[in-house]
Amino acid sequence: MKEIDFRTDILPLKDQLFRLALRITLNREDAEDVVQETMLRIWKEHSKGRDPDNISAYAMTMCRNISIDIVRRKGRGNISYDPLTHDRTDGSMQADERLVFDESYDSIRQFMERLPEKQRTVLHLRDSEGRSYKEISEIMSVSESDVKITLFRVRQKLKEICERIIK
Amino acid sequence: MNYKYIEQLLSKYWECKTSAEEEQILRSFFSQDDIPDHLRQYAPLFRLQADESRFTLGTDFDQRMLDVIRREDLSGARTSGLGVLRLIVRQITPLFKAAAVVALLLTVGNVAEKMTVGQDSVGQRSGAEGAYVRQENISAQIKIIDQTHSESSIAKADSLKETTKSTSVGTEQPASKEVIR
Repeated sequence: MKEIDFRTDILPLKDQLFRLALRITLNREDAEDVVQETMLRIWKEHSKGRDPDNISAYAMTMCRNISIDIVRRKGRGNISYDPLTHDRTDGSMQADERLVFDESYDSIRQFMERLPEKQRTVLHLRDSEGRSYKEISEIMSVSESDVKITLFRVRQKLKEICERIIK
Repeated sequence: MNYKYIEQLLSKYWECKTSAEEEQILRSFFSQDDIPDHLRQYAPLFRLQADESRFTLGTDFDQRMLDVIRREDLSGARTSGLGVLRLIVRQITPLFKAAAVVALLLTVGNVAEKMTVGQDSVGQRSGAEGAYVRQENISAQIKIIDQTHSESSIAKADSLKETTKSTSVGTEQPASKEVIR
């Protein structure tokens, strides 16, 4: 097995770990702490000669577990991260269209934030990180069919939200 | 423009039948400026998904993390340094034990030798003199053995003579008896 190097193998995972931690904790500072703790634990395991086969999936699982622990310990506090204030719309939209777009965008984001952790994580790993069902099942320690069923339910709700706002 | 393909992908997406690549095609499509009206309602969802990738950690995090790891490695190195020392001591311990056993054997051997020397005065003499005295002793012992042996031989011979004498007397008796008759 290849020797794990912190700079080349662990540090590049920081953004995907951060996004997952942010999806679960909904707090930027907590998410950053989670990433640091995740990386440190992986490095300590490496020092003991215990390197995982799939370091990315292993790191994501650890990141998820630490994030859930933080949420349990602190409770579901107030959401503390900047939900992307950059211009989300294109220039071709009319003012009323932009209004509808922003309303829909915020509704979907809030809906996602209110989802149970499992649904939120499945949706995030698939739709934001583009992970395969197999990878998601590995990260979350659930079956692939469980992942698909969970995702199906969430997507059906998202479809409703998208279509309802326009109506 | 024909959006049939996108509509098909969208139908598959809601049913969770799209591949990760097809879902990426949907995200790319909805990130465009020119989206047809009948599909525009879905744009915020896919735009939101694409926007997620914008949440990142800066290079300051890298530096902080590397400092943490460096401290961890240093403390690990200290631990492993102690570990190496312990390992060396553990490997040397049998040698110390062996040396202790050898020293003990030498001491016991020395004491035993001294005790033997105390009992045997010959041992105090040295060199040729000692050897000569030992030779004398051996000769004396041989003499004693020889003497004992020869004495026993004489005794045996005497007893044999007696036996012979008595036997010859016995044989003569009937003759004499016959003479008497």
